[in-house]
Amino acid sequence: MHSLIQAVILGVLTGGVYALMASGQTLIFGIMKVVNLAQGVLVVLGAYLTYTLFTQWGVDPFLSILITTPLLFLVGVGVQWALLRPLHGDDVAQLSLLVTFAIALGVEGLLSFAYGATLTNVQPSYANFSWTILGYQVSLVRFVAFVLSLVVLGLLYLILQRTKFGRSVRATVQNPMSAQLLGVNANRVSALGFGLGAATAAAAGSVFGMLNSFNPGSHYDLISRLLTIVVLGGLGSIGGSVVAALVMGVASSVVSALASPIWSDFTFFVVLLLVLLIRPRGLFGARTRGAL
Amino acid sequence: MQLHIDGLRPRRARLFASVAALAAGAVLLAGCAASPSTSSSSGPLKIGISLSLTGDFSDSGKAAQRGYDLWASVVNKSGGVLGRQVKLSIVDDASSPDQVVTNYTNLITQSKVDLVFGPFSSLLTVPASRVASRYHYSFIEPAGGGPSVFDQKLTNLFFVQPAPTTKGGDVFADYILSLPANKRPKTAGYAKLDDPFSAPIAASIQKRFEAAGIKTVYDQTYPAETADMTPIMSGMSAANPDVVVGGSQEADAFAQIQAVIQLKFNPKWLFESNGANSPGDFPAAVGANTEGVFSSADWYADSTVAGSAKFISDYIAKYGGDAQKIDPTSAEAFSAGLLVEQVAKKTGKVDNATIIKTLHSGSWPTLVGNLSWDQYGAPKGSYQLVQWIDGKLTTVFPAATARHTPVAPKPHWAG
Repeated sequence: MHSLIQAVILGVLTGGVYALMASGQTLIFGIMKVVNLAQGVLVVLGAYLTYTLFTQWGVDPFLSILITTPLLFLVGVGVQWALLRPLHGDDVAQLSLLVTFAIALGVEGLLSFAYGATLTNVQPSYANFSWTILGYQVSLVRFVAFVLSLVVLGLLYLILQRTKFGRSVRATVQNPMSAQLLGVNANRVSALGFGLGAATAAAAGSVFGMLNSFNPGSHYDLISRLLTIVVLGGLGSIGGSVVAALVMGVASSVVSALASPIWSDFTFFVVLLLVLLIRPRGLFGARTRGAL
Repeated sequence: MQLHIDGLRPRRARLFASVAALAAGAVLLAGCAASPSTSSSSGPLKIGISLSLTGDFSDSGKAAQRGYDLWASVVNKSGGVLGRQVKLSIVDDASSPDQVVTNYTNLITQSKVDLVFGPFSSLLTVPASRVASRYHYSFIEPAGGGPSVFDQKLTNLFFVQPAPTTKGGDVFADYILSLPANKRPKTAGYAKLDDPFSAPIAASIQKRFEAAGIKTVYDQTYPAETADMTPIMSGMSAANPDVVVGGSQEADAFAQIQAVIQLKFNPKWLFESNGANSPGDFPAAVGANTEGVFSSADWYADSTVAGSAKFISDYIAKYGGDAQKIDPTSAEAFSAGLLVEQVAKKTGKVDNATIIKTLHSGSWPTLVGNLSWDQYGAPKGSYQLVQWIDGKLTTVFPAATARHTPVAPKPHWAG
């Protein structure tokens, strides 16, 4: 029982970080119907920026989020403006797959050139600190990361629900044609939406760099996890991606601790398959557009 | 000269003779291809090497390149091998097993190098060594020690490390079983990475521990894509073994250590087959928590092997940096060159047949210890047991080469 509860605690805390990464992924899909295969590499880029800020200038990895998120927001806006906006026609979704995959490979190549292929991680003095609560170990970094994920997701929610930009985003998601007729600038919404998605990747990257060793190739594993999370949660649903990330985190952790890590990913895919058999749209996917 | 063949009319006999001559010519040509003219015994000694200068293994590939280049420059300064200057032809295989075959084939048949040295990793060494074998080249290789390399049963291959990779943990078992029975651990836990270089190391230790009565209380194998080791080490911590054995590579070893620190679990003995033997990367990953962790190694900055200090000073003179940052792969690659030098000195020759024949007998001093091999190139020695003591990797077993007695039980984590 002790092992089970410890595993659930770990799973929830880890799931929070994946929720942050996946929320950006699903936001971008919701707005533009673009499956962003570069989301994983943006997380890794965020981790490397945090690493550089920490090792070169001693910037605390959590504080570095204040620098990396605006930076990657601008990168995201730039990428959308320069590479995705010019895509037109019925096959935009397929083309965007290729373009975002190309971006992923390009960034991976640049990171390999700059940092090499050796695994690294961000190791502040408190990286391995943990609290003992009722006999259970709660890692400081994981806990703060979880809280931070909640804060960033909360901010994202407020932006989408309470701001004019958020209304434009939701309108675009529900009906892009009508939104444009009502004066919403779809290109601007798409660019800012992609920027926001990249910014969440930056925030998650700072934490990811403290929790895992990483190298430029780490994004392949990340993107496969993120895609399964957003599919389980329902494409375009931020709430769904949060729930799915927590399901994945807990399922992986519990199966690893109590059975075997070899079965942990498999178990998650079984859950995914069962959910999709019963609800093909995922847990929170809407029948029509407008899940945000 | 007229050719007569019984039972055939002259015209058909001529046709038959022509075909036979063509076939014989083809066979001769093929024979030439199978053993291209190798060393001209004068001029530079050309050595061809394919290395992963880009791709997944690029960091290690470049470390090997530094080792090879350093050996070439050192030996050339001292007059070369048998008076011949060494000229290395290093080509990039982009970490690809297909490209490595093309590279070695080109090096041997087009560039007509005199000798070849090995690439990085077992994955590339297996196909590369087959090419070398086909052309009867010796294949001295510093970085392919997995079971698949020796399973090929090639007699031209020599692995330049003290033992096959899967025997990397045997020295830890030797140390534990050398302890008096009342001081040995009673229980053991194993976390094994599911790859051919990691899990077998821990399995080999486990087999010997169990035979000696050390009970297994936790045994888990995890796939390579496992990023988070905390759930596994949480299970390990609950089982509370005296000794923890990690059959690991680098990233998972670091993650295992980070997880047990966070779980506040401090076993009396902790061995990681890889990762913890990296003098630069391990402290970078776990901070001050290195103390007391065991691993095994062939070469590291404080190695007492003859020639090591000279290697370090030459290395720093050529590449800068500090001794602790030198990748052991550089020392292993350097040692490949040392073997050729020694064969040349002993026999007065430096052709492939002589190298293969000569290395199959005797013991050969290198930076990674005295090497000797079985008929298929598997080294017959053992690694050194190293432990982090006062922030430095230190040899602690076997006693003959130890610089410190092993520290047990392990000190508490620094946090």
